[in-house]
Amino acid sequence: MFRSRSWFGGSLWRTKNPHSLDHLKYLHTVLSKNQTVSESNRSLLVETLRSIAEILIWGDQNDSSVFDFFLEKNMLSFFLNILKQKCGSYVCVQLLQTLNILFENIRNETSLYYLLSNNHVNSIIVHKFDFSDEEVMAYYISFLKTLSLKLNSHTIHFFYNDHTNDFPLYTEAIKFFKHPESMVRIAVRTLTLNVYRVQDHSMLRFIRNKTAAPYFSNLVWFIGNHVLELDACVRNDADHSSQSRLADLVAEHLDHLHYLNDILCLNIDELNDVLIDHLLNKLFVPLYIFSLLPAHQFSPLQEGKPRVSSVVSLFLLSQIFLITRQEALVNDLANVILKSTAANWENGSFVAQARPVFGAPSRTLEESLETSTSSLGEATSEDVSEPVGNLNITDEEKEQRLAQEAQKVFLEVVVNSLDCDENDYAALFALCLLYAISQNEGLDHIMLDGMLLPARNTELKQRYNAWLVQKLVNIVTQSCQAVCKIRLVTLELAILLLQKLVLLEGKNLLSDAHYAAVVGAKEESAALLTSYYKREDMFGEMFESEDEDMRKKPLNVEWLMMDSNVLLPPTGTPMTGIDFGKRLPCGEVERARRAIRVFLLVRSLWLNLSGLKETQLPLTNRNDCVQSDTDLDLTNSDLLACHVIGPDGVRNHRFLVVESNQIILVVPVPGKLGYGRPKLAAMLHDLDVSADKHDSRSLFLSAKFTTVGPMVNTKFIFDDHIRCMAAQQRLTKGRTKAREEKMRQMEKLLDIPPSESPQYNLLQQLRHQHRSAGSRSMLHHKIPGFPTQIRVSSASPRPSGDEGSEASNSPGTRSRDGSPKLPRPRSEEIQLESIKVKQHK
Amino acid sequence: MSYAYLFKYIIIGDTGVGKSCLLLQFTDKRFQPVHDLTIGVEFGARMITIDSKYIKLQIWDTAGQEAFRSITRSYYRGAAGALLVYDITRRETFNHLTTWLDDARQHSNSNMVIMLIGNKSDLESRREVKKEEGEAFAREHGLIFMETSAKTAANVEEAFINTAKEIYEKIQEGVFDINNEANGIKIGPQHSPSNSNLSPGSKPPSQPSGCC
Ligand SMILES: Nc1nc2c(ncn2[C@@H]2O[C@H](COP(=O)(O)OP(=O)(O)OP(=O)(O)O)[C@@H](O)[C@H]2O)c(=O)[nH]1
Ligand SMILES: [Mg+2]
Repeated sequence: MFRSRSWFGGSLWRTKNPHSLDHLKYLHTVLSKNQTVSESNRSLLVETLRSIAEILIWGDQNDSSVFDFFLEKNMLSFFLNILKQKCGSYVCVQLLQTLNILFENIRNETSLYYLLSNNHVNSIIVHKFDFSDEEVMAYYISFLKTLSLKLNSHTIHFFYNDHTNDFPLYTEAIKFFKHPESMVRIAVRTLTLNVYRVQDHSMLRFIRNKTAAPYFSNLVWFIGNHVLELDACVRNDADHSSQSRLADLVAEHLDHLHYLNDILCLNIDELNDVLIDHLLNKLFVPLYIFSLLPAHQFSPLQEGKPRVSSVVSLFLLSQIFLITRQEALVNDLANVILKSTAANWENGSFVAQARPVFGAPSRTLEESLETSTSSLGEATSEDVSEPVGNLNITDEEKEQRLAQEAQKVFLEVVVNSLDCDENDYAALFALCLLYAISQNEGLDHIMLDGMLLPARNTELKQRYNAWLVQKLVNIVTQSCQAVCKIRLVTLELAILLLQKLVLLEGKNLLSDAHYAAVVGAKEESAALLTSYYKREDMFGEMFESEDEDMRKKPLNVEWLMMDSNVLLPPTGTPMTGIDFGKRLPCGEVERARRAIRVFLLVRSLWLNLSGLKETQLPLTNRNDCVQSDTDLDLTNSDLLACHVIGPDGVRNHRFLVVESNQIILVVPVPGKLGYGRPKLAAMLHDLDVSADKHDSRSLFLSAKFTTVGPMVNTKFIFDDHIRCMAAQQRLTKGRTKAREEKMRQMEKLLDIPPSESPQYNLLQQLRHQHRSAGSRSMLHHKIPGFPTQIRVSSASPRPSGDEGSEASNSPGTRSRDGSPKLPRPRSEEIQLESIKVKQHK
Repeated sequence: MSYAYLFKYIIIGDTGVGKSCLLLQFTDKRFQPVHDLTIGVEFGARMITIDSKYIKLQIWDTAGQEAFRSITRSYYRGAAGALLVYDITRRETFNHLTTWLDDARQHSNSNMVIMLIGNKSDLESRREVKKEEGEAFAREHGLIFMETSAKTAANVEEAFINTAKEIYEKIQEGVFDINNEANGIKIGPQHSPSNSNLSPGSKPPSQPSGCC
């Protein structure tokens, strides 16, 4: 809307072409004539700046003389001049956006140099905008971020001045590191990472000497305060009422760790030294690790210092080991947790030197930046604590301290948290921490051998951490009891860790006693499950669905540690929305589900430790089913013609085959006599069959799972009610048989002697009567000629005559392909063998 | 100018699909492409009205930050809406949608509204991805879908505004916890449930301009 107005009535200088040097000259006069911003000319000014940007972008790609003129007339100074006039947020925002557009769309490095050449950009960066205006703040920080994306080893010198020791782009940006607006904080982080990765030595030295300690100490304090907030949220939310707040705080902590990790991964040694020192001595050790100990211990050191609950502390420490693999950091941290003893900490620090304290930095970031950048050249090391130094204890020291050595202060607490007598609240996190440490690739293996991994020294009598294994075995054993407070997720993790501890190259190092305990647990879990066992379809379905669920979603510890819900005390009610595996069971059905899962978990542990392969599970292997539209040889199959109407209302002509525990719908394959192409396939035992009340020729079929095509309340229409009834019988009998077979498999799995339930007997009786009536099949007996008719309608005829007279009743069934006659099972007996699947090329 | 709500958007998709151009086209129509000069920007804000309420949209482009995991993570979490953009003339940008979507779903607030955009609809002759394919993908993943052109401005308004409408509806339904700013929604300074009227003297912007 301004375009027309601003150019309307312009001077004679105005040119037709908005993209030209002449037009830029014209705009220059506009600026020159309007040096003072007023209410009446601000729109004109804004529009002029915009047009200048547009011409420059055009010039960048088409005409470099535009930039010469721009530089010659020092046109960026107009921008600055306007800014300095306190002209309100509208003009500031427009101006910043124009600069954004300009810097983002310039492609030539030389054009960029022109823009940056006389330090105006730095003057704009340090301009005191009204940052209380959120719009100004957003555009300003985007501007800085855009500039940071232009940094490289050449352009860095326009921003970092090593004579004046000045780097406003960086120092101004980091002042907003804890801005309440998350997008602003993210932009600051992006900018810092973009700066660090330029890898300019003198710039990095500036960052390290002048800014690293103030920035990192304030950052660490900021993170620590977030953690305290998180802890308060957990403490005050026993009733699970502020789940979303907690979720945010957890995600925020993860963001912090990922940011720190992103810095560490740039592998800038001088920076990492300072960062790691701050992290260890001002946050991780004093706040996270010290909080593991009961409040009275360590009191002289930590008096009055904030702490978090040990559950929160274990949770946060696990996150660290899951996210960062930076050797220097994780080794020192793991060393403190796994190795340090009370004696090590006598002087308040681990092997003397730095004394870890979580406390507010002596000055705010802005204050420290002011002093450190004004005192030229001199490094302020006041905030930098001494490096922790060599945390590894020498052999000599080891011997001296042998007496006290037994007490590994922190490890003791962690491992003792594995006792689940009251609940498994802390145990879950202790497991996570130990697991996270054991899988961290940045860690020195020597530290883990015999501790969290099997000892590789074959001389040793005990090649694994028996103390810890005993605790894990206890969790497994307790989980198999009818009444217990251990959640499934805890059991699964304990099993995962146990396997890590004792399996070396597939071989299990367990002592006889420990192995016997596992075997015992496996039997207990089977006994527990047997107590819930019912010879019902429902139970079979439940068993299979739990098995499949666990197969589909194996435990992912990293994801588990992203779930803030586990931070709240374990609960039983599903109404919190917490996953089944992460809470206690509620009600009889859930207890049965739990028993199934415990059985499956412990069984797989036992198999792995015994070096055995699973041969009995899953009960249904859908991989054996017809999977695709690969053509099937159906020359020996019974085919029933029907029309099928799916949920989409489309009506199709199909042939129904019931074989090998499956229902398959096929269409004839052109040019391949006797073959059918599957359009739909499902396991019979997944099938729901219901008759159509209004039409005796129709059936409704649904299947939870299909291996080809969907089947949801699909209508099958047969030629007449008799064929319909026949199909229904075939399907329901086949299903009954498949389900029975499944029950037998399950009983074998649980060592239950085959039962003689009334339901079962009834079925057998029925079958017996049926046979003794002298009919080989209801179909054949009651409907003479029926199968023949099927074949008539079939486009893939099978060899005729195999059923005797019935076949010969219809001339249309004469075998045309002359395939050999094969004995065919009675049609009510559904074959269990697989269909021959032939690849059709 | 004060607003009833502020919605934060992010805009994601492969490089070169036109994210920056879409953003600038929406926030500042004055940059009409002349002489094949399409200009983009990576941040912008604009006021719109929905249901006669002022809603400010703040759009943060995430391009160029993929190198850092921490950055992408946090961007997703802070947004109420996301525009997932592909280029209809480059099939591979369509093929990568699943990866983008997985990433978005993993890191974002579960209520985040995602709009799928097939951009560069002006280049019909070079089309590699059919409109139906975009529609099918959107249907399958529960997204809203639209084809746009940052060059001709076709559907650009609609894309941003329909996303806002969807977020607004979710707020009305009470799905979003609007008191939690981590969701990417902010309540305006003068907004209160009893008095959501606009401050006197302000009228809905008749035409988009950068002045909001
Ligand atoms: N024809 C046509 N070209 C477009 C359109 N949108 C963008 N472009 C062009 O596509 C190219 C890339 O556009 P950008 O907006 O920079 O792409 P981007 O997604 O921001 O790319 P990155 O910032 O690298 O992630 C530019 O050359 C634009 O001119 C459109 O709708 N039609
Ligand atoms: Mg871009």
